[in-house]
Amino acid sequence: MRALDLKLFRDLWRMRGQVVAIALVLSAATATYVLSVGVHQSLVATRDAYYARNHFADVFAGMTRAPRSIVARVAEVPGVRRAQGGIVQYARLELPLRTEPIRALVSSVDEMGRDHLNALTLSEGRLPRPDHPEDVVVDEAFAKANALHPGDTIAAQIYGRQQILRIVGTGLAPNYIYALPPGDIIPDERRFGILWMGRKGLEAATDRREAINTLSLTLEHGASEAEVIRKVDTILEPYGGTGAYGRKDHLSHAFLDSELQQLSAMTRVIPPIFLLVATFLVYIVLGRMIRTERGQIGLIKAFGYSNRDIGWHYLKFALAIAVLAIAIGSVAGIWMGRSMTALYAEYYHFPFLDYRLSPGVFVGASLLSVGAAALGAIGGARSAGRLSPAVAMLPPPPPIYRAGAVERLGRWAGLTTIGEMIVRHVARWPLRSAITVIGVSLSMGLLFATVQFIDSSHAMLDQFFGRAQRQSFTVTFTEAQNEDVIHALGQIPGVMRVEATRTIPVKLRFGNRSERTAIESVEPDAILSARIDMDGQQVEMPPAGLMLSRQLAKELGVQAGDRIEVEQLGGRRTRTVQPVARIVNEIVGARAYAENSTLRRITRDAAPIGAALLKTDPAARDDILARLRDMPVVLGVTERDAAFTRFSQMIEQNILTMIGFYVAFASAIAVGVVYNSARILFSERAHELATLRVLGYQSGEVGIILLGEIALLVVLALPPGCLLGYGMAKLMLAMFSSDLFRLPFAASRASYGLAAIVVLIAGIATALVVARRVMRLDMVRVLKARD
Amino acid sequence: MLSPAVVQSAPATPEGTVFRAEALGKVYQTGETRVEALRGVDLAIPAGEMIVLLGPSGSGKSTLLNIIGGLDRPSSGRLFYHDTELTALGDRALTRYRRDNVGFVFQFYNLIPSLTAQENVRLVTDIAADPMPPEEALALVGLAERRDHYPAQLSGGEQQRVAVARAIAKRPGVLLCDEPTGALDSITGVRVLEALARAHDELGATVIVITHNVGIAAMARSVIHFRDGAIARLETNDNPVQAQDIHW
Repeated sequence: MRALDLKLFRDLWRMRGQVVAIALVLSAATATYVLSVGVHQSLVATRDAYYARNHFADVFAGMTRAPRSIVARVAEVPGVRRAQGGIVQYARLELPLRTEPIRALVSSVDEMGRDHLNALTLSEGRLPRPDHPEDVVVDEAFAKANALHPGDTIAAQIYGRQQILRIVGTGLAPNYIYALPPGDIIPDERRFGILWMGRKGLEAATDRREAINTLSLTLEHGASEAEVIRKVDTILEPYGGTGAYGRKDHLSHAFLDSELQQLSAMTRVIPPIFLLVATFLVYIVLGRMIRTERGQIGLIKAFGYSNRDIGWHYLKFALAIAVLAIAIGSVAGIWMGRSMTALYAEYYHFPFLDYRLSPGVFVGASLLSVGAAALGAIGGARSAGRLSPAVAMLPPPPPIYRAGAVERLGRWAGLTTIGEMIVRHVARWPLRSAITVIGVSLSMGLLFATVQFIDSSHAMLDQFFGRAQRQSFTVTFTEAQNEDVIHALGQIPGVMRVEATRTIPVKLRFGNRSERTAIESVEPDAILSARIDMDGQQVEMPPAGLMLSRQLAKELGVQAGDRIEVEQLGGRRTRTVQPVARIVNEIVGARAYAENSTLRRITRDAAPIGAALLKTDPAARDDILARLRDMPVVLGVTERDAAFTRFSQMIEQNILTMIGFYVAFASAIAVGVVYNSARILFSERAHELATLRVLGYQSGEVGIILLGEIALLVVLALPPGCLLGYGMAKLMLAMFSSDLFRLPFAASRASYGLAAIVVLIAGIATALVVARRVMRLDMVRVLKARD
Repeated sequence: MLSPAVVQSAPATPEGTVFRAEALGKVYQTGETRVEALRGVDLAIPAGEMIVLLGPSGSGKSTLLNIIGGLDRPSSGRLFYHDTELTALGDRALTRYRRDNVGFVFQFYNLIPSLTAQENVRLVTDIAADPMPPEEALALVGLAERRDHYPAQLSGGEQQRVAVARAIAKRPGVLLCDEPTGALDSITGVRVLEALARAHDELGATVIVITHNVGIAAMARSVIHFRDGAIARLETNDNPVQAQDIHW
């Protein structure tokens, strides 16, 4: 080994504390990169493989009822590769010892396994037998959550008829990766499941012999989806078609897609923060190292080493840190990736979900780390290379302090001599002080941006469940109802108030943009639901025209005052033009609202009641649920409190996992920055500190100089940390928001405080570790040497 | 009255003695090498004297000075400051001893570059029990005019005089100087020696100076010659010369 490389190894060992501290920050970048890119790639690869293997369709369409022969007609449409028809029907299940209604979506499946699109993958058991209408396959998550196994039977009410079903298998399909109960916003596998019943069986159960009510298509390569949808809609119109739509509007696909978008946004925002800090740290540590090694550099050059040899030597020091960071970060990233993937597997149902990393992820992470370290080192390495040997061997010029603003300020503030030393040193090295301040404030910013997610999700829950929804139960019906059902529900003892919600599926068009959504309406005197905007203000329904959620308005590119075309999907399929009266910045969903009168103008009919909101006496819960279960028109009941609990759990679980990671990362920054600053400070001031010890200062008093400067910088970092945190929080909230829900910024003061306290503790504890060196300061040796 | 400046082998502390050493030994173990820096030094130093330690490099004089100053501890033997056994003190008490009683002047000044001359002196007056005002200490070394200058704005001789001012500002009982003129030319060196002499005269402090410079020894009442970690011989000078009469 060359002598210079030997020096490199010994330098790395001698400065191992600082090397590890920088490597930790850099490894946080590697880890987040490996984590987010790795999970993203794994999810995309799994999804794509699953979609391909099980032939997930490209276009979907629903209708009231169409003859099976329609499938062949649709298959003739240019651009359609394959079409498949089937039946889907909501049903009520009854499980022993369960009071709450349990819903299921029953989907037809070919008994001979000839289904091509959205193919069912069996996890256990077998497909329903041709002549056994009672056979069903149950979705894996629902079976697991309710302890159902092949051989078990369940009572079901399908299309108003009571039936006993026999479970013959469990399985899953690509169109139900994320399965939402109707009207709900999060999955609940205990109360909602997918069942697959033999085609003949379901046809018989729903009176649809040789008929279908759902259609799935795959497209030829290069076919125009919009064109196919237009033609399919024309074909299905006489059959009560509700409008075909692409994968973008497919619920399961949309949820998964928004999750993937969040992951890739995270890749773009988080690792750069760590890379920036690591670059700064390499810059200051290497800069200091080169200053202290001036004499050696001169000597080595005098021996005949070239400028390039010297520059490369210091560059290698930085690269060694990068290599260490890549190793630590990859291991951490893989470990965190596995836990994240496991978390995803709970909400997204894949037949297989392996956390698989391509070599490209590591190559990417390595290039980033090496690049950041090299960028930090390049200035120092070049300056070392450029030092002329004769100049390098002279002692460096002493730091020059002159009377300036800082000194006058110090005197004016009546600082002690020690105080003056601290303040002047900070002012003497403004760049380095600034780097410490920036690093610590980034750490605090990241902490704050993470911690405020708790506030934000609480605000979201409070607004959505606390203020927007005031009902106890939401009752959904097997099919649209008229006013009678409201009276019937009002008769149930314990029901204090009933309000109807009318919903019509529509396609909204503005210019060349269109969106599928639903227009909701409530009674004029409704009190059980309210529309709350992001600021927590209640927004009233406009007397005429539509009110769009901001998300929907953004997708359509409309503003209040614009007029948009409303095409009713199903019903009379009316087309009207309605003004956009108001935009509401809502937390959940991308919806449209209108007064009943507007709805009637659109439907040219009494708009059907899609759901009823009930305010009930909590003491009568079980009785009310039992009565609702006995009403054939009732498909299911969503309990607000249960949904709230479920949502809280999901958020807490996700957020706590994420917060755990980020608190560790943010602390790594604080520790890395403070440790390096303190070590440099200590090595620079060892002479002064020893002098003070000689003059009779106790080690504690001398330690104040070290701790005081670090504390000053950490405290200075808090205000910019709050600002950075505010900006990062907004950015991260935007990143984590999707079409489906948006998180409001609702940070409490306690979150700022918590972030500040964690940073202060991490910073001061790290500085204390370095300050302990004051105890071991060898006064004699330091003073004998020239500074 | 004959006052032998320094007495070797003192069984008990004689009246007016500031330091008494009993069989002081110091061994440095660096890796596999063992260096015996002091080999059983016995010594009694009377209060208020000016003493010079002479000897080649590595003879043990700096080690003795550091132990006397409370910067280092002996490996064996005992050392008393008046009636206090320094060798029995812990780190805090030893620091207290330095703070209250000892002034140091080093070859390389050891000023704090971020503090002005006066502030460097204040470092000591801030913590000493009965200090003189920093301006007075600077006036004693002839630097009253330069008190607001930073070390980088002062010459080597001026920096060393600031160091002397800093050492005497606490009115120390002992002033320890390790090669105070080692980095200076003859003219500036003499000015530093004058400042030391003045401090000695006006404060009555015991001054112990390490030097390679035999000329400086002429200033002292006693000269202790060191060789191989032990006292080679003691020399008493009944007619010390004035600082301004020294040249090298």
